[in-house]
Amino acid sequence: MIVLVGLNHKTASLSVREKLFAGCEGKTNLLGELSAIDGVLEILYLSTCNRLELVAAAEDAPQVLAALRFFLVHSGNLTEREAATCLYGYRDEEAIRHLFRVASSLDSLVMGEAQILGQVKEAFRQALAGNFTGIALNRLMHRAFRTAKRVRTETGIAANPVSVSFAAVELAKKIFGTLAGKKVLVIGAGEMAELTLTHLIGNGAEEITVANRTFLQASALAEKYHGNAIGLANLTGALSDADIVISSTGAPEYIVTAEMVRQCLRKRKNRLLFLIDIAVPRDIDPAADDISNVYLYNIDNLQDIVDENIKNRHREALKAEQIIEEEVAQYSKWLKELKVVPTIVSLRSKAESIVRMEMIKAQGWMAKFENGDREKVEALVNGIVNKILHAPVVVMKEESSEFNSQDIVAAVRQLFRLDD
Amino acid sequence: MISPEKIMFTLALGCCGLAAAGYLLSLLVKKVALAKASTWILAAGFLFLTLNLTGAAVNSGGWVNFGSRHFLSVYAWAISGIYLGLQFKTKTRILGAFIAPFILLFLITAAGQGSEKSLVPTAWQGWFMTFHLVLAITGEAIFVLVSCAGAMFIIQNSLLKHKKLGSMGRLLPSLGDLDRINHLGLLWGFPLLTLGMICGAVYAASFWNHLWTADPKVIWAFAVWVIYGFLLHQRLAINWKGLRMAVLSCAVFVLFLLSALLIRFCFSTVHKFI
Repeated sequence: MIVLVGLNHKTASLSVREKLFAGCEGKTNLLGELSAIDGVLEILYLSTCNRLELVAAAEDAPQVLAALRFFLVHSGNLTEREAATCLYGYRDEEAIRHLFRVASSLDSLVMGEAQILGQVKEAFRQALAGNFTGIALNRLMHRAFRTAKRVRTETGIAANPVSVSFAAVELAKKIFGTLAGKKVLVIGAGEMAELTLTHLIGNGAEEITVANRTFLQASALAEKYHGNAIGLANLTGALSDADIVISSTGAPEYIVTAEMVRQCLRKRKNRLLFLIDIAVPRDIDPAADDISNVYLYNIDNLQDIVDENIKNRHREALKAEQIIEEEVAQYSKWLKELKVVPTIVSLRSKAESIVRMEMIKAQGWMAKFENGDREKVEALVNGIVNKILHAPVVVMKEESSEFNSQDIVAAVRQLFRLDD
Repeated sequence: MISPEKIMFTLALGCCGLAAAGYLLSLLVKKVALAKASTWILAAGFLFLTLNLTGAAVNSGGWVNFGSRHFLSVYAWAISGIYLGLQFKTKTRILGAFIAPFILLFLITAAGQGSEKSLVPTAWQGWFMTFHLVLAITGEAIFVLVSCAGAMFIIQNSLLKHKKLGSMGRLLPSLGDLDRINHLGLLWGFPLLTLGMICGAVYAASFWNHLWTADPKVIWAFAVWVIYGFLLHQRLAINWKGLRMAVLSCAVFVLFLLSALLIRFCFSTVHKFI
């Protein structure tokens, strides 16, 4: 049985998450301690800035669920109230579904982000390296990775950016095609402008120019990105060279007027110009957007794109949930079948040992057989045994995937005297 | 028994039909993966058409005896070849949604023509005539491509200006890539058309003893050449780029298409084989 206990950004505040994270990370042999808990067969510990979860394969789910819960409460010194409100515990299909949703980034703060899958893989790698996982968790984690991959490729959950800075990069790509070699002019030295600049550089933009009222501040930012610093007085010249302009000053009036843009177009040889105005109040005259080959986006325009993309991701999440349900059903079926495997193995080995014994007994009268006849008899006997065993094996597998297989397993063990 | 040439042509027609449907469907469902698959199907169609034309050249004893089906096939072959070549330079697969129907139209028209029946009078057939036709056709085919890219530029520009990128905006190629097609198209198309026209003029001079005939198709072609040249000049010397070039390319294309149809069906011309 699979159980999962933990907390995340939806159930616990940052302070509670910090407390539990410190408590768990402080333990030198965390996985060792967890695996020593009575009833825990396999264990995995997943920790990110937004969640901390324990996934276990257990013999007795309710008992292990309570034990893991107790472990977390004590490790994080959680109060009773915190434990009651922040910790969640799932078993069987609920636990599998939760893990698949986490790996597929459906449970993330930013739905569809790619980082979580890497973190889940790392958690599995650590558990695997310490030999804390076995057949159930290994298969579960591989299913989780497969599910996450299917969700990413079969739905558009991660297709469109959900941050203002990434939305700006996406627009720049839709305007220029490639950002390689594109020149960026940053006006002002705001945090958001710097973040957007970082993403643009990450996508190939080169030649950075920073313009600021205070030359020193401009120099500091320019130096960080190996660019040039200029004063606001030289803005017109810089506009003529730039392909992308990011503006985020605190100026109360327009820093870039439509007339300035119009004048620089001739010098720019009518090259496409992308203006990103993330300042409030605005830095760039909205009339600049009316000029041909100039594309002006302000913070509201970018936020609208982000909001639309978030809505799209939620729509895509519905498709993802269907994929997860399919995968949960497949894994659950396999897990249930796993319970009857020892009985099937015992049944087969008992039958094989009977055949072996009877063949030894028959060695005397089979001695007069000609070449190959002995093998034919052996094959015949094995074929009969396999045919007889086929029906009970299939029924056990079917029963295990539909219902609790305890009764049928007990019946088979008694009928064939497997426990003698 | 069906000839291998006919089989190749049918396969090419089938592939182009499938590619056109795939491209249009990709535009409808807004999935670029379908457009990518259609590009491969179109590439297969291009290969079959190449084999068909090569076979026709071998069987008919050289390019000089090409029938009217083959000339229309050369149109389709040139457009698809140039479009596929551009795919190495730009990520503009969805442009196929605009190009593939044109290619299909040429092939369907070609299918209706007899391969053996050449509308080029026997007396005129020769290498010079072939050069004239192939170069002029390729130049015009490139202009079809330029105009399709221009139409896409206008749509994408409108989406970006109205801040409504949406799934359609994400599907369409970037403005930069589309403008690059316009630039490359004018840069390569104009010299080819010029060479084609020179070949035609030289041929006319040797056949009729004068370079210029007041044939409606010749006047039309000269107008195409002048405006083509004007656009290239404005692009290279005056730096017209982006929306203006896209709008002009489309407008000029529509104008030429209408006038070409008018000439074809309302006037008597020595070029009635095209």
